[in-house]
Amino acid sequence: MTNQLTRRQLLERGAAGGAVLTLPGLLAACGGTSKAGAGSTTSHQLAKTLNFSNWTLYMDTNNKTHTNPSLVAFKKQTGVGVSYVEDINDNASFFGKIQGPLSRGQSIHRDIIVLTDNDRYLGLMLKKGWAEKLDKSAIPNMKNLVAVQRHPNFDPNRDYTLPWQSGMTGIAYNDTLTDPVLSLSDLLENPKLKGKITVLNSMGDAMTIVMLANGDDPAKVTDKSWNDAFNRIKKAVDNKQIRQFTGNDYAPPLAKGDLAAAMSWSGDIAQIGNKHIHWNVPKDGGALWTDNMLIPKGGNVYTASVYMNYVYDPKVQGLMEAGDPKRNITGIYYIPPVMGAKAWALKYNPSVANNPLIFPNAETLAKVHIFDNAALNNQKYLTQWQNLISG
Amino acid sequence: MNLFHRHRGLTPYLLLAPGTLFLMAFFVVPLGFLAYQSLESGNFDVGFAFTWAWGNYWTALHDYRAQFVRSLEYAGIATLLALVFSYPVAYWIAFRGGRWKNLLLLFIVAPFFVTYLIRTLAWETILADHGFVVNTLQSLHVLGSGGRLLATSTAVVAGITYNFLPFMALPLYVSLEQIDGRMIEAAEDLYASKWDAFWRVTFPLSLPGVVAGTLLTFIPAAGDFINAQLLGSTQNHMIGNVIQSKFLEQTEYPSAAAMSFILMAAILVFVFLYARLVGTEQLTGTAV
Amino acid sequence: MSAVAVDQRRPRAGFFAVAWAFVKHHVLTVYSILFFGYLLLPIGVVILFSFNHPTGKFNYTWQGFTWDNWHYWNGVPGIQSAIVLSLEIALLASVVATALGTLIALALVRYGFRGRASTNILIFLPLSTPEIVLGASLLTLFLNLSFVTFGFQTILIAHIMFCISFAVVTVKARLVGFDRHLEEAAMDLFANEWATFRKVTLPLIAPAILAALLLCFAISIDDFVVTYFNSGSSVTFPLFVWGAARIGAPPQVNVIGTAIFVIALTAMLVNVLIQMRRAKAAA
Repeated sequence: MTNQLTRRQLLERGAAGGAVLTLPGLLAACGGTSKAGAGSTTSHQLAKTLNFSNWTLYMDTNNKTHTNPSLVAFKKQTGVGVSYVEDINDNASFFGKIQGPLSRGQSIHRDIIVLTDNDRYLGLMLKKGWAEKLDKSAIPNMKNLVAVQRHPNFDPNRDYTLPWQSGMTGIAYNDTLTDPVLSLSDLLENPKLKGKITVLNSMGDAMTIVMLANGDDPAKVTDKSWNDAFNRIKKAVDNKQIRQFTGNDYAPPLAKGDLAAAMSWSGDIAQIGNKHIHWNVPKDGGALWTDNMLIPKGGNVYTASVYMNYVYDPKVQGLMEAGDPKRNITGIYYIPPVMGAKAWALKYNPSVANNPLIFPNAETLAKVHIFDNAALNNQKYLTQWQNLISG
Repeated sequence: MNLFHRHRGLTPYLLLAPGTLFLMAFFVVPLGFLAYQSLESGNFDVGFAFTWAWGNYWTALHDYRAQFVRSLEYAGIATLLALVFSYPVAYWIAFRGGRWKNLLLLFIVAPFFVTYLIRTLAWETILADHGFVVNTLQSLHVLGSGGRLLATSTAVVAGITYNFLPFMALPLYVSLEQIDGRMIEAAEDLYASKWDAFWRVTFPLSLPGVVAGTLLTFIPAAGDFINAQLLGSTQNHMIGNVIQSKFLEQTEYPSAAAMSFILMAAILVFVFLYARLVGTEQLTGTAV
Repeated sequence: MSAVAVDQRRPRAGFFAVAWAFVKHHVLTVYSILFFGYLLLPIGVVILFSFNHPTGKFNYTWQGFTWDNWHYWNGVPGIQSAIVLSLEIALLASVVATALGTLIALALVRYGFRGRASTNILIFLPLSTPEIVLGASLLTLFLNLSFVTFGFQTILIAHIMFCISFAVVTVKARLVGFDRHLEEAAMDLFANEWATFRKVTLPLIAPAILAALLLCFAISIDDFVVTYFNSGSSVTFPLFVWGAARIGAPPQVNVIGTAIFVIALTAMLVNVLIQMRRAKAAA
């Protein structure tokens, strides 16, 4: 009799254990419906929150209150709160994070993400069908897009993407730690800088600058120009000149003083806020790229489009770009893609508005170049580059 | 005293079922998927296909042997350092701790309560190029005038050692604490010097703890990538960095899967050899 | 003459011998104190910098004391949802893993059955697998199961998975030393199996179950690698720290780290002090 009781009681116990086991199953049943339905395409209903993933140091910031004025104003104007997450450090790692869910047809709970055009991932997102079409009826301000950005080869009709900011890649240096570092040869080959410099882990950025220093054209990459540039960087790696390959994470060590110089992006330096750090286009030329907003599959198209429209208002863009020292607002300090932004920027912050790095004139633009799109997808180059930056 | 119910009945199986099924589903099966993936070929853009691509293993081993060797090296050195550093302290607490043993143990475990990443980031601040530590070492001429600690293998090994110290110290303490002091007394009564008594009585009796601590330290250290990422340079990348990058950035799954298995195999070989060396009872007796 | 020489020699030798003995006796203590200092140095830095008042975005150099970071601990976007998610997952995972682990431990210790050895190995394997392999293999599994959503579910499953082994080991250690005679006595007094379990066994192994719960909670809340592979776009606190570190971790990260540290330390301290009291009372 005791045995039977034992078995029955233990069956009950086991069943309790089994119920616990199915808890994840329960959760799966409850939570697993974020598939197709979530991305309502053209219902003209604003969502309560806009989920925006972006790179760091890429939004106007009020240094006292630690808020983003343009986002606060957006909420006032439309009632949509922006959940702004600075979780993009480089295109590769961000893509790696989101491609899992996206390849399953699942939403990544973002309405807008920002990817760069000098890396293969932007084109890949579009090719794989992981981007939603913009609701152009909600973006009349699209007419303010600068002419040169209207028909990029990865999205000829701007159906899926809109530029966020353009920028240049160059060299930043800390004047308390080194003499001015103004050329790539200085960066990679000056023995005084050994172990105190970083190079970007983005192929498009780094190779453009090195090719220009070699006298080659980065817009037309050949095997020879590739190998020359690659070997030049590899030499610097092997003799420990290069401390690390970084994405946006060069900013903390640069600010901290661990780095004397870094291959870096033009606008970051202002937001780092250290007077001793200066940025320049390298002597032989720098890289030009554009970060693009896109709506990943499952994002709220209408709300995202409304936001994009807001950002393409020249007045808004002017303030975002230049900031306002009177109100303690630091701007983005990159190159805006919106016509008419300069006029407004002049009102808020004339010194920034007149800065050729932010509102570049023809002379500055002549010194920066874009990278060959075909090379971005060349498997051989990609593998070589990967092996180089993984040590 | 244990009484085994030699049940032919279902009782033990029912007790086991939920947990073991969960482990089968989410530990064993995934490893199977990983193995399957390691034999695929193709790339992310066009898709992967199963082609018995044993070549992936060879390529992984060939292309990244530097990182493999480095991982085993760093993990080995860190484990040794952890052993040497923590043994005296474990001994001190076990034999001289008295009533305060548990409190002292708390000090050893306390760093654990701060998130692993935050601890490692603190080292980034402490070892900064213009921080107190580096400046002191430079003025003592231990480091050259332009010398640094961060972005070197020293920092990475130091970070790994630090982060796994409690893993080494606790098992050491547990086995040392169980040693009957009278055995040491007996050895000394038989004219052994303190040093002799230690090496011939205490240390051998503490071996189970040494084994457990070594395993608990070496195994996770070999697969670590956080210390290398935050404290090292590109030349200090371990195999964990490569696996992480291949999975999450390059999306080269087959290659990454092959590397994971090679890492596992290397660790299992090490555990096996180690078990042979110290005797299997020590291994299973303490580890599980 | 030799006797005098000997007398003169002994006091000098005595002093050095005494000094040397003193040093030898205390070297271990001094070493241990230095060791603790080394161990707690980074913690000190973390706590210190949680009070830092950085002028820019970066919290690397001391620039002044402030309570602001503690006041506005959730002033950094994303930090609150990250720590809440971590706590939720840790709670759920530790409860489930301890429950499953206790059942396994009971079976392993009290019953002889076919497959005991393999079960032992199954429990041992996750502990001896590097986290990166655990994370990567789970990722591979989830990528191939179309009904799985990356996020809360996948993180929870992963955490339960690696916590089970810890729970088993913890509870098993206590069960192995358990005196079955108490249970026999209860059953002799006409309690059935379930009542015995509830009133005798469970209370006696309760400390081990509690220890397993706490251990699993601590491991889950701290986990980075396995979570990193399987989180999709959800962010737990360690993931938040990782992301923040790349762009310059704000002091609030230190605040939360310190808070977790203080809470855990206090709990353990109370536990230890109670134990010491008990030991003193027993002695």
